Amino acid sequence: MRRSLTFFWRIHLSVLLGVAVATAVLTGALLVGDSVRDSLRDLTLDRLGDIDHALVSERFFRTDLARDIEAADDGLTVVPAVTLSGSAVHATEGTRASRVAILGVDSRFAGLFDANAPDLARRGAATPLVANESLRSELNARVGNAVLLSFELPGDVHRESLFGRDGISESIQTVRARLTGVVPDRGMGRFGLRPRQRTPLNAFVSLPLLQETLGLPGRVNMLLVSQDAQAVGDPAPALARAATLDDLGLSMRVDAGYLAVESTGFLLKPHVANPVLGLADELGMPRMAILTYLANTIRVGDRVLPYSTVAAMDVGRVGNLRLADGRPAPVPGEGEVLLNAWAAQDLRAGTGDAVELAYFEAGPKEALSTRHVTLRLAGVVAMEELGADSLLTPALPGLHDAEDMHAWDPPFPVDLKRIRPADEAYWDAYRAAPKAIVSAATGQRLWRSRFGSLTSVRMGPAPGLDAGQSAGRFRTGLREALPPESAGMGFQPVREQGLAASSGSTDFGGLFVGFSLFLIVSAALLVGLLFRLGVEQRADEVGVLMASGFTAGAIRRRFMGEAVLLAGLGGLIGLAGGLAYGWLMIAGLRTWWVPAVGTGELTLHVHGSGLAAGFLISQIVVLLTILTTVRRLGGLPVRALLSGAAHHATAGSGRRLTVLALASLGLAAACLAGAPDAGREAAIALFFGCGTFLLISGLCALAVWFQRGRRTLVTGIWKMGVWNSARNPGRSLLCASLIASACFVVVAVGAHRRTDAGRDALISRTSGAGGFQLIAETDAPLYHDPGSADGRFELGFSEGDARILDGARIMPFRVLPGDDVSCLNLYRPRHPRVLGVPETLIRRGGFAFDRLLHETEAPWTLLTRQAEPGVIPAFGDANSVTWILHKNLGDEIPIQTETGETVRLRLVGLLKHSIFQSELLVSEANFTAHFPDRSGYGYFLVETDRPGETGAILERRLQDAGLDATPTSARLAHFRTVENTYLSTFQTLGGLGVLLGTIGLGIVMVRNVVERRTELAALRALGFRRALLSGLLCVENGFLMATGMGIGVVAAIVTTVPHASGGGLPWTSLLAMLCLIFSAGLAAGTAGVLVALRTPLLPALKREGA
Amino acid sequence: MTLRAERISKQYGDVSVLREVSFETGRGQSVAVVGPSGSGKSTLLHVLGTLDRPSSGRVEIDGRDPYALSDKELARFRNRGIGFVFQDHHLLPQYSVLENVLIPTLASGNAGSGDGDRARNLIERVGLAHRANHRPAALSGGERQRAAVARALVNRPALLLCDEPTGSLDRARADEIGDLIFELHAREDTILIGVTHSPEMAARFERTLELREGTCVEA
Repeated sequence: MRRSLTFFWRIHLSVLLGVAVATAVLTGALLVGDSVRDSLRDLTLDRLGDIDHALVSERFFRTDLARDIEAADDGLTVVPAVTLSGSAVHATEGTRASRVAILGVDSRFAGLFDANAPDLARRGAATPLVANESLRSELNARVGNAVLLSFELPGDVHRESLFGRDGISESIQTVRARLTGVVPDRGMGRFGLRPRQRTPLNAFVSLPLLQETLGLPGRVNMLLVSQDAQAVGDPAPALARAATLDDLGLSMRVDAGYLAVESTGFLLKPHVANPVLGLADELGMPRMAILTYLANTIRVGDRVLPYSTVAAMDVGRVGNLRLADGRPAPVPGEGEVLLNAWAAQDLRAGTGDAVELAYFEAGPKEALSTRHVTLRLAGVVAMEELGADSLLTPALPGLHDAEDMHAWDPPFPVDLKRIRPADEAYWDAYRAAPKAIVSAATGQRLWRSRFGSLTSVRMGPAPGLDAGQSAGRFRTGLREALPPESAGMGFQPVREQGLAASSGSTDFGGLFVGFSLFLIVSAALLVGLLFRLGVEQRADEVGVLMASGFTAGAIRRRFMGEAVLLAGLGGLIGLAGGLAYGWLMIAGLRTWWVPAVGTGELTLHVHGSGLAAGFLISQIVVLLTILTTVRRLGGLPVRALLSGAAHHATAGSGRRLTVLALASLGLAAACLAGAPDAGREAAIALFFGCGTFLLISGLCALAVWFQRGRRTLVTGIWKMGVWNSARNPGRSLLCASLIASACFVVVAVGAHRRTDAGRDALISRTSGAGGFQLIAETDAPLYHDPGSADGRFELGFSEGDARILDGARIMPFRVLPGDDVSCLNLYRPRHPRVLGVPETLIRRGGFAFDRLLHETEAPWTLLTRQAEPGVIPAFGDANSVTWILHKNLGDEIPIQTETGETVRLRLVGLLKHSIFQSELLVSEANFTAHFPDRSGYGYFLVETDRPGETGAILERRLQDAGLDATPTSARLAHFRTVENTYLSTFQTLGGLGVLLGTIGLGIVMVRNVVERRTELAALRALGFRRALLSGLLCVENGFLMATGMGIGVVAAIVTTVPHASGGGLPWTSLLAMLCLIFSAGLAAGTAGVLVALRTPLLPALKREGA
Repeated sequence: MTLRAERISKQYGDVSVLREVSFETGRGQSVAVVGPSGSGKSTLLHVLGTLDRPSSGRVEIDGRDPYALSDKELARFRNRGIGFVFQDHHLLPQYSVLENVLIPTLASGNAGSGDGDRARNLIERVGLAHRANHRPAALSGGERQRAAVARALVNRPALLLCDEPTGSLDRARADEIGDLIFELHAREDTILIGVTHSPEMAARFERTLELREGTCVEA
């Protein structure tokens, strides 16, 4: 065997190199998958340091909770911090960065990253700021520069409720900071809890200074937990033990024989109120649910009382309420009201009078309307106990601490001129004690909202216990009944989640194996071709062996022995090549294809398993291919073999090939027919299925044509060249297959390349931009509607700006922050970002849909259809849903609400190539119902004829809110770039396939010339010039190239047509590419021919030595 | 037409294959070249057929030295003026008999309008009319050689060179091919030069040149 291997070293070397290429490509592809996963894992570990769990709350809680949790579980290190989302502006240069994480930290934070604590000590008036390199670079700032940090001020009271309303100027705080240091974009500098490959923009400030700025000393909204090796996996039990009612946003008061539970957010949310009421019942404590509201006016006849509180409660449960004559006050029924004596006297009202209440009702976008209700006076209560109880009104910022009513600074408009001395006297005597009382049912009907339906719950003592004892038991019970998670204070296992997400939304190993598949197949075909040539070269050897009594099996084993050795050696060389290929692909992803991955921090990671898999799979593929070639030897007559005619083997039986060609054509047609109704993933399978069947069909037809021979006389050099290609059908077919499959990839992928839709297309409502020209996103939510004249006034737009905005249509969306579900995120998203779609857009419609769960003329109304409890109809972009979330139409995606409950987003529609690739969409009504704590609007779509000016105005005026306006065309282009980059990758690898094909063709041409030296010499003797012979061989080469390309191109075009977007195929670039491929193939073949023809042909004619 | 070889020598490295071989012949004449294996018979034929340039000496055909022609002119000269019949016929396996016979006419790009008739006529004259559309693989050894003879004559060459045309055939077939070659030689009025090991075949030629260790002796 050694002699055979060395004697035929040229052909064996080429087989060995072919195996090396196949192994290198496959191994490299698998290494890319491992590398992307491991790089994401490295980034995750880097950004988290020692952090295992994290708690981020909408509400601030005690800094000391960290210490208390550590005390409850000594295996935990708990670091408190403040995290805010905001924007940063270079104070002098004006460069701006949005989506900045403003982090209030102390030295403990740096300890989580084994880093030195940043120097955040204040040395002047400005707040010291340490930025990570990315933020510094974005701001183009240097140490010592002043930077303005803007962020939303946190508040306990919901900003959209009547008692929490604030304009943008009140809700956003801007702090002047000075850049005192820069940390690199690793470790602490990369810190971020959300899995994403892009480096976050981090601004570190001193925790105490930030708390002071926020007016929340000793309060934080984030806990980061690092656990030692012995610690129990879940810090939740320690949190449950350590958390106080204050941490959960509740206060409990024992007073005058009763126990009252109130919320620091003014209103008790249902998920808090219900356990409170339930526990009271469980402990046998009488309880009274109270909802206190503000009446702007209480009117009886022509007499009015301004700005009075009204309590809605079930009178008689807890506490005493008596009439002026000492009798117990009647329980007011539906449509009835009780007035306290002071109010009744001021209004000169008597039982039975009609009492009209006027009150504000807060709507979204700061909409405030005045409502009126007329009730019948059921009685006048004495100014004692509940009749004059200021504690029925919880503390309200701007009111409860005011010395007098003229000093009120409430979050809603008041006309202080209406306040009379008598009212001031009441305030002095009774503060905010309700002047009117209605039944709980009436109050709920009039004033309940999504933010809550109670302001407090009062409870009497439990049987056999006094109020103090009852409070103790209640407190203990409430901590069990109200776990911190239900109050939005749950720890997330961020390390575990991050590592799980590192497996990625896209299997890059699979993707690159897929991308490289044609390349691998091409390499395997090339190996088969080369081995076949080697066998053909030794046909006489086979003939002699068979004539000498060797069995076909023994000869096959002999050849396979050589093949195994060659494949093994080639595979080992291929492993080294695989490392190089993998490195090259990763380098490509870091640089040339960086838009596809969005990070330049991918590095090559080598796993033994990847190398072993690449080696074994390529060995199997190659050896099977070689086995197919070797098996054919047995079917050849010894006489033919002895005359060196192993290549007379045909490509198969004509009849079988015809049947195969027709069957493949039928299957391709079936795939085409099924494509329009198939799901996305099925459509891709059908796409490749159709392509493969068309290729098989075309190649079988070519084989049949080769076999059937000519029907016309060869009367010219062109015909002669064409028919010469049929001289060795099997070999020619292999060459055509190589070229056809590579061209199929290149053209099919090129045809899917998406081009800029152009402005006109974007104006269309059925485009991916829905007819909107701008997307605006803010760091801090807006509570006024920039789309309305009132909203623009409140937001402080100048008249000139407002005039331009008058011509624009702005649609605001609510935002539930979450993971980007688009192709821009390499990590597997766990908590998708969700947008609440406004009713105006649902009515307006627009955008193109890929598929809908239920056919309708108005697709957006699907979002408003009723679904079973716990299910929310949702839309997603078809690309994101299919490839990133790996879901389909009708599937459900579970997400957690603020209270830890799980709701399911059911995909009822898939948008097509839309701007909504990063998020899922639900109706605003469903959004507010399930995420009532999410306030304001952070995402806006703008329809305007003047996008440039409109965007500039919005960015300038709403700079403090961190508004960024992006043309929808740019957003779509961003997504398209990723898609096109993947296609480029695919195309590049397809191009390498073409290269292998042309190399194969070149080798075949050389081999053909060598084999046909006698024939060519005879032609020379017959007067054929050398140039004519070259031309003849080039025609053969060109014919095989053209046929292979034709089959590949036709297959690609036919397959692509059902998938092509409206723009059609990019013919120019495709034609240019095909010309390039054809030229390259022709050049390779011609070079081979010229090299082969350079040696003298004459000796081939001589039978005698001289 | 005259063919004149003047002191032709041919060396391959240190080996002298032909040594100052000289002879002359004219239209209608036939010359056999005989000698033991390795004596340079085929080399002489290739030199005369303009396939192999002599190391020294001169070949003149109709008073012209074909080796003075450019490659292109030489190829055309060979195509139009010389016909070859090889021992191993060298028919192209992928083409039919008719196409093989037509191949010399394609050297200029395309077959001329009369070429097809001429080819069919020749095929008929060599007795292969019923095999015109068959491929070489379907023919016997004798039939293949007949087709090769027809191919050699399709362009009406003045010089017909045969390199052991009957070497691989049995006696009966060899006689048959010999008859055919001489019949066509007479009819086409060519100069016929044939290399042969066969004394019987050599006896049919008008003249015989014997090569011994590269030197030529007229027998």
